[in-house]
Amino acid sequence: GTQSGVTTISVCRSPMVTGTSVLGLKFSGGVMLAADTVGSFGSLARFRGISRLLKVNDSTVIGASGDLADFQHLRQLLEQMVIDEELLGDGHSYSPRALHSWLTRVLYNRRSKINPLWNTVLIAGVYGGESFLGYVDMLGVAYEAQSLATGFGAYLAQPLLRAELEREQDRDRLPTQEEARELLERCLKVLYYRDARSFNRYEVATVTEKGVELEGPLTLEANWDIAHVV
Amino acid sequence: EWTAEPVSTGTTIMAVEFDGGVVIGADSRTTTGAYIANRVTDKLTPVHDRIFCCRSGSAADTQAVADAVAYQLAFHSVELEEPPRVRTAARLFQQSCYRYREELSAGIIVAGWDPRRGGQVYVVPMGGLLLRQPFAVGGSGSSYIYGFLDATFQPGMSRSQCQEFVARALALAMVRDGSSGGVIRLAAITEDGVERTVLAGSDLP
Repeated sequence: GTQSGVTTISVCRSPMVTGTSVLGLKFSGGVMLAADTVGSFGSLARFRGISRLLKVNDSTVIGASGDLADFQHLRQLLEQMVIDEELLGDGHSYSPRALHSWLTRVLYNRRSKINPLWNTVLIAGVYGGESFLGYVDMLGVAYEAQSLATGFGAYLAQPLLRAELEREQDRDRLPTQEEARELLERCLKVLYYRDARSFNRYEVATVTEKGVELEGPLTLEANWDIAHVV
Repeated sequence: EWTAEPVSTGTTIMAVEFDGGVVIGADSRTTTGAYIANRVTDKLTPVHDRIFCCRSGSAADTQAVADAVAYQLAFHSVELEEPPRVRTAARLFQQSCYRYREELSAGIIVAGWDPRRGGQVYVVPMGGLLLRQPFAVGGSGSSYIYGFLDATFQPGMSRSQCQEFVARALALAMVRDGSSGGVIRLAAITEDGVERTVLAGSDLP
């Protein structure tokens, strides 16, 4: 707060309602993102119907983990940007790469003021025939890759995604849309088994030349057969 | 030591939507540490004729924010020349709660009726997220009743069913949570107005 002219800078804010992993994968023809629909309040699965995937425009989708109030703030900024751009009416829309760059600047500048937006964001899109998949986190660290995952997903899902991509690379291709979807669902299942802050309802966003398709909420089927073996 | 403890509405608050309005409820205990500073608190605070907020967290913070929002809504309503939307009230709460998230300790449920969308419940938890839900609970006592709520809630309940649901849920929370207790204050907000009731002592389910 303020005290006689001196403004205190908020130091290291704590996230309140949080989202867990977001997964991203490039496939032949586009990019796909997946995330569950829960907002956790510490260990409590408090809000079970939150969407963490956002369609920004017809060529881009973003998915966020971390503090969901900060994500809502980002959502408002992005929605206003898209409206302003439409008002220009010059036929141009933000490319996924441009949005990634913008987000990186915003997040890096907030961290530099010791007042971060406590989010890790994946940006997925198809623009000018090329697919894009990028990552930015609350420190402003940014990079692109064929497959990405935030939170727990970085430890559990990313190896699975990379193994599949390497297998496909040997045959000089990317997975098909169906293969990618099946792989993401498999990863989400693993995360549901092993991430204590996850939930079995999820959404998937697919971006191709044709545009953005957001599906969900869908439910994961878990397999507990091993319980009988143990 | 109690002088160092903030005055808090460690609490149980709840709101449920039904076709035609909302039912809101809260306990009546305000604590300073372990001492009950006020045993008959009214945590259901009107911010406009048909829009209320249920306050949990710091008593001072929530009263201050609610007063500010009530002022903003009154002004807005005059400019608009019609009753303000519940969503507007919720958004005003969210703007303060998000901007000052580091300084505030406030978990708020905004519920009411407007001519556009009927009964609505919005929750603004700590951190400043805004979410609309068919029903919402908050406060320290809410932790104890999530199981009950998950098992009992049905969408499409009538007004009296909602009142019973809220009363039962609050009673269960108040028994288990030391920071909640006293009487149950209920209010039903519809197009026709606000009807307030108090459930005390033997009236509690």
